[in-house]
Amino acid sequence: MLRRKLRSALRISELPVIVDLSHCETLNRDDIELLLDCAAQSAGRDTPIVVVAGSPVTQVLLEVVRISSLIPVFSSVEEALGYTKTGGMSRVERNQNAVEYLK
Amino acid sequence: MDLAAVVIVPPAESSVAIPEIRSHEPEHASNFHSLASLLTPILGNDVLHAWIERIRKLGVPSLWLSSSGQENLACSTLQAFASQGIQRFLTIKLKSYAEMDLGDLLQFHRESRNTVTEVHDSQGQLGVRVFDHPSAASGNCEYCAPVDAEHAAYPFRGYSKRVLSARERQDLVGDVLIGGCAMRPLGKEVAEQVWVGEGAKIADSVRLIGPSYIGAHTEIRSGATIGPFASIERDCVVDYGTTVERSTLLPGTYLASGLLIRNALVDGRYLEDLNSGVIADLQPAGLTARATTRRRASSSPADARAWGLKASSSAAEWRQVQL
Repeated sequence: MLRRKLRSALRISELPVIVDLSHCETLNRDDIELLLDCAAQSAGRDTPIVVVAGSPVTQVLLEVVRISSLIPVFSSVEEALGYTKTGGMSRVERNQNAVEYLK
Repeated sequence: MDLAAVVIVPPAESSVAIPEIRSHEPEHASNFHSLASLLTPILGNDVLHAWIERIRKLGVPSLWLSSSGQENLACSTLQAFASQGIQRFLTIKLKSYAEMDLGDLLQFHRESRNTVTEVHDSQGQLGVRVFDHPSAASGNCEYCAPVDAEHAAYPFRGYSKRVLSARERQDLVGDVLIGGCAMRPLGKEVAEQVWVGEGAKIADSVRLIGPSYIGAHTEIRSGATIGPFASIERDCVVDYGTTVERSTLLPGTYLASGLLIRNALVDGRYLEDLNSGVIADLQPAGLTARATTRRRASSSPADARAWGLKASSSAAEWRQVQL
């Protein structure tokens, strides 16, 4: 269910997708596969994905599986929102430029 | 005067299951459990054995190993020794690696004529003490007495390193790898500052960056990167494409493929981050395990059980080792 929702969000949303793991104490194999899948799906697209890793254990796990080097990881939703606002703006500008170019 | 040498070995908690995943702030790291232990090998070397060799040079026929969570020896134990005619004690708490001449320490103790001599380095007490016990029978235990003016400080200026945390353990590994102390990696130097133990298998495409160490019977699979300042102890398996940098894998650890292990100590399923002190269980994610390609070496002395002590014991346990 979550996998489908996330994939759908990445496919149709023009806004950045924040995956909030702040209530997760740790990650299992399926969680990591899903995040890697999302990272692969968002690569080369205009919909960025960022992760909020609440617990230090989750942060360590994300580093070990190299997700931290693929997706921006933050320790709070506020930090993630701050990043996506600035990152999102530049993407919107790029999209507008592209639209104008097509015209 | 007869001398009794006692090495107090802390319980080897790293070899038993950690009941829960822990995380904590780095400033409080010393208050928490760490995977670091001097009962696990340092680049193939056994620190306990190194201390025993130093004691052997004193010419004493045997020593006592005590495995206990308690720091101090019990007065009753000392009285039992005293009743056998032993009046001088050398006690070493296994919390440091120090390149110390114990003969010089004993001479200092004799000449200073104090009842207690405590070894100090630049950071304070090292956990090594010589004391005379003339009044054990009267219950006036010099060992348990607080440090006061009658205690002589033996200033030690040689190489010493406390190993109470995973960070300190990795510092010692680094010092050994760059030749900063007398300990040497147990293996053959196959390239500049790269040592490999007997029977290790390293795939052709593995990138080895010195200084680094790969222990005996460890397997490093294709595409892995080892180093710099990596220590992979014996019987480990590092799977395809995994990077191990500024980290240590304790014996018998399996790492899955494609991982990035940086500034960490890994013991089987658990990883301790050296910077934050966070301990994470990687097994639910299928990232680590105990290596099963080869039975874990049980003959290595770097194991409390090999010395006849239980791996973890809350009660004091004693064992006499003939030298």
